[in-house]
Amino acid sequence: MTGENPPSNDYDSLLDALYDAVLAGNADQALTSTRSGLENGTDPLTLLFDAMIPALEEVGRLFESGEIFLPEMLISARAMQACMDVLRPLLADAASARVGVFVMGTIAGDIHDIGKNLCDVMLEGAGFEVIDLGINVPAIQFVEAIKEHNPDVVGLSAFLTTTMPELATTIDAINEAGVRGNTKIIVGGAPVTQEYADQIGADGYAPNAVSAVRTVKSLLSI
Amino acid sequence: MTISSRERVLAAVNHEESDRAPILLGVSNATGIKMKPYRDLKNLLGIEAPENYLYDWPELGTAEIDETTMRRLHSDVRGVLDLEPASVMERNRSRPDHADYIDSWGSGASEIKPGQWFPMVHPLAAANTVDEIESYDWPDMDDPTRVAHVAGQAQKLADDNEFAIVATPWLLFPLERAFAMQGMDTFLMNMALYPEFAEALLWKLQGVCKQLMGHFLDELGPNVDIIKIGDDLGTQESLLMSPDMYRRVLKPIHADWIDFIKARTNAKVMFHTDGDVFPLIDEFVDMGIDILNPIQTSAGKMSNLEALRERYGTKVVFCGAIDTQRILPHGTPAEIRSEVRRVIDILGPGGGYMLSSVHTVMDDVPAKNIIAMVDAVDEYSH
Repeated sequence: MTGENPPSNDYDSLLDALYDAVLAGNADQALTSTRSGLENGTDPLTLLFDAMIPALEEVGRLFESGEIFLPEMLISARAMQACMDVLRPLLADAASARVGVFVMGTIAGDIHDIGKNLCDVMLEGAGFEVIDLGINVPAIQFVEAIKEHNPDVVGLSAFLTTTMPELATTIDAINEAGVRGNTKIIVGGAPVTQEYADQIGADGYAPNAVSAVRTVKSLLSI
Repeated sequence: MTISSRERVLAAVNHEESDRAPILLGVSNATGIKMKPYRDLKNLLGIEAPENYLYDWPELGTAEIDETTMRRLHSDVRGVLDLEPASVMERNRSRPDHADYIDSWGSGASEIKPGQWFPMVHPLAAANTVDEIESYDWPDMDDPTRVAHVAGQAQKLADDNEFAIVATPWLLFPLERAFAMQGMDTFLMNMALYPEFAEALLWKLQGVCKQLMGHFLDELGPNVDIIKIGDDLGTQESLLMSPDMYRRVLKPIHADWIDFIKARTNAKVMFHTDGDVFPLIDEFVDMGIDILNPIQTSAGKMSNLEALRERYGTKVVFCGAIDTQRILPHGTPAEIRSEVRRVIDILGPGGGYMLSSVHTVMDDVPAKNIIAMVDAVDEYSH
């Protein structure tokens, strides 16, 4: 769908191998395929859009349908991440590779990051530039990140009922700083519900990383 | 006819009805109350009592509830716990303020804001070979200071014969221990990437756990009614791992663990496992657990108490089911009373239900809500 590539069986089998490696969570094989693809002159966008992203979408589908679970999803995300570390610098200038900017963080007082990290990979796989602020992120740091990166979407994660109120605090701080503008805010994490998201003025809610992609795309109408 | 708390618990665990559902509070971390709500509770009740921590462990943050408050909470059980070795407790007590808390396993917690500690120190985070397991400096489980207090405490409770005795040595669970040693995401990935390593680590951890459990059970002797163990296997909406992976890797380990305990005590085995574990309950029944805790009603299919009761009501005793994600922190006392009645109506008939909060009562739960929960049980006899 992108770039010029030699139409050959080698090329198809390379994309198949990359797809299979991300799906199976084999980071070494995924990296080998990515590197040999680049060496053969394959467009990085082709590797991304014709192999890695479809693989990640399949991982998401299998996760949501209960065919795979966290261990398998985590290793696929890790394989994707390893390839993205190689591809990212090459994609920097390709505007077509980027559908938006996503800022993500676990709110102040909370350190849980498995869901957050999966969101990062799924959103990057969906074409977003992802800026991860880490764990235990004070509200003011989200405000600063919005000023600096002008993201399309900010994702806030909380895992405990006792840290969940910080989601509201953070959204209030963003509003009060007057930086919300067109930036959409989505929230998620174990105890968070759609009802709570509505109550604290979030634009969207996602119970897991796979649905986060859907929520973000629907908020941005893409 | 008045029956004792212990008789009430023994009736429930034998699937017999008594005057009311027994209440299990304050005997372990999962059935416990954090220090702030405990303090609020004492203020509300006008009770003066010292502020001690379960396991003598301030970083865990869960209160050791004094006897007056335990009685006011109508708690039908009393707990016996183990301790970290005296030398490890002393090392932690004398460390600099805000420095990481490191336990005898080498795993530990960091303080991310004053008084808030999270398990973030994972000494085997980088390991993925069997050699690294073997060469690790595993804790000394024969240190007598871990269990020196156990026999006396249990004997006293048995002599009083008023309350059921629930014994919960700290985190002697293989999967939870593996998460502590490696970090949860790392170990879950290793289960998929290096299954032989992951399995070897789980068996090694179980072996170390057994050493302490053996001493602990020796000290308890016959003076124990319930042994609480477990491993969190569910998430908010699903399982942590596939049923196939559970059956292949962890179930043999859990079954072996339960056999080990049952060979040494007649106490009932309570298995604690968070999240939506509905698809695994057949496995739990199969490996001989007696009591399932905490029945996290906010998680997926565990909300369907009718189905739980219908499928497993005669095979396992349910303990927990009072939601700590929404009802206890955010409900009104009236809503809490009505939820308690709803749960008892479904799980109570025929015995086989013991009431407890699903997780530790956290800082966001008002004291009046705790009282509403326990008074509703007391008022609502079956």
